[in-house]
Amino acid sequence: MKELFPAKQVNGFVFSLVLTVIAISVYFVDMSYEIGLTILLVTAFIQAGVQLIIFMHAGESKDKGSIYTSLFYAIFIALVTIFGSLLAMVWGYM
Amino acid sequence: MKIDNTQPLEYSTDQNQMNILGFWIFLGAEIMLFATLFATYFIYADRTGSGPTGSDIFEITPVLIETFLLLTSSFTIGLAINAMRLGRKNATLTFLAITLLLGAGFIGFEIFEFVHYYHVGAGLQTSAFTGMLLTTLGTHGAHVTFGFFWGLFILIQIKRDGFNPRTANKSFIFSLYWHFLDVMWIFIFSFIYLKGMM
Repeated sequence: MKELFPAKQVNGFVFSLVLTVIAISVYFVDMSYEIGLTILLVTAFIQAGVQLIIFMHAGESKDKGSIYTSLFYAIFIALVTIFGSLLAMVWGYM
Repeated sequence: MKIDNTQPLEYSTDQNQMNILGFWIFLGAEIMLFATLFATYFIYADRTGSGPTGSDIFEITPVLIETFLLLTSSFTIGLAINAMRLGRKNATLTFLAITLLLGAGFIGFEIFEFVHYYHVGAGLQTSAFTGMLLTTLGTHGAHVTFGFFWGLFILIQIKRDGFNPRTANKSFIFSLYWHFLDVMWIFIFSFIYLKGMM
């Protein structure tokens, strides 16, 4: 039975629950918009990292170089798309 | 087909390894798809026109339940893959079935949430904000719905054929997809719901 619940994955799950609780605190605790958004950014990206490394085994095969390259490329394009659009459409007019 | 027994079953043939790498590249494209949705949502988040704002219509309870369901299902699919590597067929099937039930629960709550939005007057054409909100949530929900049926068919195949390089490879790729949906939900949860309710 024990080998069906490896410590690494159980800890990963507990850790992701803790991160979720921290993220929810921005709703229940009174804080400024900037602090709240910073907390959300930090918890969301750590959470994504936990999923990728612990649960998705991103680094376990001999293709890990290619996997991380395509992943970082995708994240780079995603961030440029999001922040570039915000800069061009919202922040530029504030 | 050359089978390399030093690797886990899902990596045991060259084709299997290429399938997994190919799926990671597909997930890269999915990240960019969701990035365009998020970019458009963030631009329109304040463009509510005469419709409701985010804090008017978002409700914390269903969102928390959805988050918990999807987070737990991501954990159980991880356990299913672990059980598969141990060659424990019944344990794998059990964890996979739990994952799918949690996924179905998630879809149920999301439908409930969409009905609620409709009743409070937040439809697809109400404002730029509600239009993009429903498009983003709907794209994620459609992915989960697709994943539910995909997982169901894999469950049937494992039950029928047991573990072989084919079914193991399919299960592993499905687990990647399911974890990816959880990651996207984390971003929706943080930057659409919690940011909107702050």
